[in-house]
Amino acid sequence: MNTFFSHNSDQTEQIGEKLASKLKAGDVVALFGGLGMGKTAFVRGLAKGLSVCADVSSPTFALVHDYGGNPALYHFDMYRVSTWEDLSTTGFFDYLDANGILAIEWSENIEAALPKNSIYVEFSKGELDNDRIIKITGESIDENFFD
Amino acid sequence: MRIFSIECSATAASVAISDDKKLLSEAYTNTGLTHSQTLMPMAKSVLDCANIELESVDVFAIAAGPGSFTGIRIGIAALKGLAMAQNKPCIAVSTLEAMAYNMLGRDCVVCSVMDARCNQVYTATFKCGKNIKRITQDEAIMIDELPDILKNLDLPIVFVGDGAELCYNILNDKIDNISLAPINFRYQRASSVAACAFEKLKLQSAISAEEILPVYLRAPQAERELKKRTENN
Repeated sequence: MNTFFSHNSDQTEQIGEKLASKLKAGDVVALFGGLGMGKTAFVRGLAKGLSVCADVSSPTFALVHDYGGNPALYHFDMYRVSTWEDLSTTGFFDYLDANGILAIEWSENIEAALPKNSIYVEFSKGELDNDRIIKITGESIDENFFD
Repeated sequence: MRIFSIECSATAASVAISDDKKLLSEAYTNTGLTHSQTLMPMAKSVLDCANIELESVDVFAIAAGPGSFTGIRIGIAALKGLAMAQNKPCIAVSTLEAMAYNMLGRDCVVCSVMDARCNQVYTATFKCGKNIKRITQDEAIMIDELPDILKNLDLPIVFVGDGAELCYNILNDKIDNISLAPINFRYQRASSVAACAFEKLKLQSAISAEEILPVYLRAPQAERELKKRTENN
């Protein structure tokens, strides 16, 4: 089981960075977990691990941020997306073909549209207020994934 | 009449400059959805190669959809910007009708199909010969519905578009008389947008850049739930 424990956002970022080292073009990283769980910090770690120089922030209003890089990192926030039509108009399906890496906050809202081989990253609360449990699962992920 | 055309409704993008029916210069890029990066350099190179100033373009033409949301938006935004700055008229043509012009001169029925994902396509049919005559309107349907549209046609049916291979493979043993357009005639091209726009302009007048609108056909996708989990778990 690929489960990580984080005590603060720096550690969450490092876990993102660790995942980034295993990513390849075309991967979809689906993030689950409510407000303030560290999803954006995690994506900041992904960007760092992919050597993308960008100010990472939640694209709540822009819906998608394109951070560039090779492969490019596309950061979605599906908080405001509730219908298939909404989802189409974000360009989500076009970006799936763009051969980059998609990191998707609020994947809860579009779970049925996620590609089959998506990487699921689920955040939940730990014992202390700032503790987080980060569970990483997916079809392509076995227990040796991070070795 | 000098026509400047843009086609970027799917993963490929192209730009062309033509004079009536004569194609003067065309650029084509098929490296993924990077139209926002490739469209303007292509526009510049096409004009440079034809030795034509943007100011001397008479009409700006665009394939306005159906197609990829991102692609169509980029194409229309670019076209509006160019045409508005020159205060020149525009014309929007159907992506599906424009690609039927790829087969101009061959006696057949062209079935234009664009992949709209999940076994859905954007499609329309045209009678092709010396000119192109529309048979059915642009629509978004399930691939299963295509045989109904293609029955009782007494000409060979040729598939064009990025959904051509998909439809051909699914329907080959269900419908007689279908074939795939040769690969060099299969996909959207700005030069075909130009050919289509030229014919349209014989029948209708051009419109202002402000009046150009994207055409997003809504896919029939079964309205299944987008969220899988309920609020409680």
